[in-house]
Amino acid sequence: MRFIFIIMALLAFALPAQAALFSTIDSRGDKISAELKGNNSYHAYLARDLTSIASSEYDEGDASAARVFINKAEAEAAKARGTK
Amino acid sequence: MMKRIAIAALAVVSLSACARLNMDSSQLDSARKAVADAKAAGAERCAPKLQAEAVSSLYWAAHEVTEFGVHPDETASLIKTAQDNANAARRACMAKPAMKEVIKLKDVYFAHASAKLSHTSDATLTRAVALLKRRANIDVEIAAYTDSNGSDAYNLALSDRRAASVRDYLVSHGINASRLTSKGYGKMHPVATNATKEGRAKNRRVALRVMN
Repeated sequence: MRFIFIIMALLAFALPAQAALFSTIDSRGDKISAELKGNNSYHAYLARDLTSIASSEYDEGDASAARVFINKAEAEAAKARGTK
Repeated sequence: MMKRIAIAALAVVSLSACARLNMDSSQLDSARKAVADAKAAGAERCAPKLQAEAVSSLYWAAHEVTEFGVHPDETASLIKTAQDNANAARRACMAKPAMKEVIKLKDVYFAHASAKLSHTSDATLTRAVALLKRRANIDVEIAAYTDSNGSDAYNLALSDRRAASVRDYLVSHGINASRLTSKGYGKMHPVATNATKEGRAKNRRVALRVMN
């Protein structure tokens, strides 16, 4: 019983952070780049820089850091859409 | 045994979600201040690329400091990049006051190679006076431009005199001098080709740049 509880608890904590597992860092980065093409606002530059950092972290094997940065990049991209 | 493996595997999955940024680290104090100062100077608007590079470097450094000395050189380099870019962004904004709007003044003409306003400019300048009286809260820079004929120095000096001439006109028609600055940009920032007569005529122009 305790084992099942521990498993469920760990899964509950882990799942939100792993939610984007099925969408790769690269594909999310490509989507941001495509959406922001021609947008030279501050938020667009920041989104692109954060995407690049996410890729670097991913290439260095730090997938969790990559996800943190790609999430931030997507948040900045959302702000940039209104500032073209 | 299976139970331990399962728990260990799930623990790894859980911990992999723990990457974070420590924006409050004292190591980042100087870079954080530089970024904040640049933002206060309007860097997001007047130097967006530099400011974005500063902020992204700061975020990256904020991640690296959570790894407790794993990449000390990289962290120091990111902090320096953040600080340098933020300072450059702030300087760029100070050198170039943020400009909010450009009011083109069509049909402002001068005598050839001179700053003497032609009478055909009167209608446009009368409208400019009315506009500045109506919008009494704006300060403007009168910007004058030339075509590309002649040397850089000549065009810069001529456009400077022409901008000052328009300023004098506006002041003499009741606009407070403290609201007006004038600047000649010479052949910079052409709006049309200088290869044709029509293009050169478009490039010889005067505009009001709203600065506040």
